[in-house]
Amino acid sequence: MPDEQIALPRRSQVDVSTVLQAAAADAGPANGVPGRRGRLAQAAAWASPRRLSVVYFFAAMFVIFSVWVPATFLTSSTWHSLLADQAITGLVAVAFSIPIAAGAFDLAIGSEVGFGGILVAWLIVPRGLPVIPAIALTLVAGGCVGLVSGLLVVRARIDAFIATLAMSSILLALVSWISGGSQILNLPNSLQAIATNTLLGIAYPVWILLAITLVAWYVLEWTPVGRSIYATGGNPEAARLAGVRTSLVIVLSLIACGMIASVAGILNTGQLGVGDPTAGPSLLLPAIAGVFLGSTQFRGGRVNVWGTVFAIYALATGTTGLQLAGAPTWISELFDGVALLIAVGISKYQRRPTRRLAVIRQAVSPRRAR
Amino acid sequence: MDDRRATQPGDPRPMLRISGLTKTFPGIRALSNLSLEVHPGEIVAVIGQNGSGKSTLVKLLAGVHSADSGTVEVLDESGDLLVGPDALEHLHFIHQDLGLIPGLSSVENLGLGRRAGLGAFSPVRKRRERREAETLVARFGEVFDVTAAVSTLTAAEQRILAIARALSGWLTHDNLLVLDEPTVALPSGEVRRLFDAVRRVAAEGAGVIFISHRLDEVLDLADRIVVLRGGQLVADIETTAVDHDELVRLITGRQLADAPAPRAHSRGEPVLSARGLAGGSVIDLSFDLLPGEIVGVGGLIGSGREHVAALLFGALKRAGGEVVVRGEPLRSGDPRTAIRRGLAFVPAERREHGAIMDLYARENLTLPRLAPLRRRFGRLDRGAERRDVAEWARRVDLQPLDAERPLKLFSGGNQQKVVLAKWLRTDPLVLLLDEPTQGVDVGAQASVYALIAAAAESGAAVVVASSEAKEIEALCHRALVMRDGRVAATLARHELTEENLVSASLGLRQQDLDSLFGQHGDSGAAVSQKR
Repeated sequence: MPDEQIALPRRSQVDVSTVLQAAAADAGPANGVPGRRGRLAQAAAWASPRRLSVVYFFAAMFVIFSVWVPATFLTSSTWHSLLADQAITGLVAVAFSIPIAAGAFDLAIGSEVGFGGILVAWLIVPRGLPVIPAIALTLVAGGCVGLVSGLLVVRARIDAFIATLAMSSILLALVSWISGGSQILNLPNSLQAIATNTLLGIAYPVWILLAITLVAWYVLEWTPVGRSIYATGGNPEAARLAGVRTSLVIVLSLIACGMIASVAGILNTGQLGVGDPTAGPSLLLPAIAGVFLGSTQFRGGRVNVWGTVFAIYALATGTTGLQLAGAPTWISELFDGVALLIAVGISKYQRRPTRRLAVIRQAVSPRRAR
Repeated sequence: MDDRRATQPGDPRPMLRISGLTKTFPGIRALSNLSLEVHPGEIVAVIGQNGSGKSTLVKLLAGVHSADSGTVEVLDESGDLLVGPDALEHLHFIHQDLGLIPGLSSVENLGLGRRAGLGAFSPVRKRRERREAETLVARFGEVFDVTAAVSTLTAAEQRILAIARALSGWLTHDNLLVLDEPTVALPSGEVRRLFDAVRRVAAEGAGVIFISHRLDEVLDLADRIVVLRGGQLVADIETTAVDHDELVRLITGRQLADAPAPRAHSRGEPVLSARGLAGGSVIDLSFDLLPGEIVGVGGLIGSGREHVAALLFGALKRAGGEVVVRGEPLRSGDPRTAIRRGLAFVPAERREHGAIMDLYARENLTLPRLAPLRRRFGRLDRGAERRDVAEWARRVDLQPLDAERPLKLFSGGNQQKVVLAKWLRTDPLVLLLDEPTQGVDVGAQASVYALIAAAAESGAAVVVASSEAKEIEALCHRALVMRDGRVAATLARHELTEENLVSASLGLRQQDLDSLFGQHGDSGAAVSQKR
């Protein structure tokens, strides 16, 4: 990540050795046969607010609004619509997290969603394509957008941040061109059905989100491919020298991102019932907020998809509750912005003095065990 | 101005007196009851392994931590005794990270932090500032372009600039300078320049605390050596009273075995041959590498030594020539293929190129060869990976023996063990090492040497490129000495001495003389005259 490259003078002054000892002493009891204290400490570490702050945040939100506005907050329709509405944001965030894990920002993600949404509508209505081929073509188009971004990054060596920002603008132009600036109406019911039908009482997009998250999680956590992605994100040069095809990793992660963004775009158009040329870009910020907040969860600072999905829903629970309690609609933007700042703040705090934290942890844990 | 000096050389009062300094971190006594004095004009070295309390001392002096008990007293310019935070104000630190801004010139870096308040908006007086900077730098016997960007200066020049900046605010010269590992990644010629500068500062009456891993440098520079072990002061001795071996014994608390003498290796077909290799600072390099052989590559920085390993591996693109592995040419600039063909490369900069600090030690260890851990549906067999890694962690004696933590939490020596283990795990045909013990403490150095020797004994061909002549002397069957991008000398085992290595690599600067008088290495003296 870019901020890693800024050398903070203070940082190198902090010496490792003392902390190593602290850390070694810390690992001591947990390492061998865990006694009762060891297990307690392990459980405490596992459930510590540092790892699971989003879960605690969610629980707090839930309790507060259950007490505050029980009549509306505790209804199944609220939760159904919360789940379904946020599935698309969740998809965007999961898509965004893949290139981030490989060290590349995809700032075009919002426009990619908008592009996918308008393309599928355009293929079906003016072009007259059947729904299934239109969806397939849209997915391919999303992949191609990712491919172009990827090539710009690894071949033309343009910084991912800049390359995807430019792509974002280009895609917005494409969207306007395709749609002529106006909504595409008269979409077939079958497209809307995909986005609104339910299975076991839960809307399709939620299932799709679940499926894609599962796949992304499996690939990132359980396969050599995932290891290569994290290695590339951690230090591209060191990864390359260890035999990782870092260029390929970055391109593929951007392609995956583009395709998932297309899925989100198709579902968004389905939910709206029209091809809306203004949809998409507004999803960028919540997605980034979700990814960064999620990265502070579970895996100690590493981007991970479950953390991301949880973060998205936790944030949405907060905004929904506030809106039900009478807050204006802009509260969600406020929430996302603040969440992003807090998330990045936390991850800075987590990352910077990992060494010092080890000492602090050491200082705190005996007290906690008592 | 001399009458303002509170402390003359020979003044019985120390400029810095540390007494009974104790610092406890939960579970560890990092520093216990340390007492230490620094007199004007004196260079005191503080040495010890990682975890000896050396860095805790630095941090206490820098005010990063506060001590549990004990005092730090400093004599200020007017002869007053200062205690506490005021005292610490009088200490000036040069850390590994110099805090210079690479894109700005020396003049601008020296000016940073000087202007404040409304003055910050007044125009910069360029010519005057430049003259001031030149004078300042000249005080250290240096002449370099103070208007050039700092990034274009050599490593020693940058350090000298940092020292100059630390000193520029002083009214008098008799003050305290703390040098924290200032020579890391500094080639030997540059070290000499830096040391000359430090000696000048000391001669003007400053007290210097010099913290280092490198015993040779400590013996060279310091007047007095303080050895820490396990948070305690184990020795405070005049430099003249100790030698290298004695210091090692004091640091480790035991007699350290030298690097294992290389065993005779089997002759056979070369596993790797370089033909007319060029790229980076290498202009023309040809040699054969036999299985089981350890070949050293020496030479000054810029001689090509620093690029040999990277070029052979393909980390650096070749400009010409070829590398043949077991009879077949190797593609240039393709690490992945190189690994598949049995090459392994330990780069000099561990942080930038050698390993991924945010990943766990386990993940770093298995990264070059994940294929054997792959199961159906591309699944990574984590159980098998853990067992594999645990085995390797034991074999390289990883401390602490827990691969489930980010690599950055390990000490330099243990990070290097992980880097070595990750390559040894690939069972390499050819092991290419660039500065294998850079930033590695004495204890871990021995393990690194043992691992290299063991790899060679089991049949790997090894290349060790190193700026430390001692290392090559102890470890290698033969050595190539680089000069101006070419092999200047090949030293067989019986010719392989530190003196020969140094003189061969230095001789190379005397190209003109050599071409007149023929090829021989007797030019060390001439070099220093020329400089």
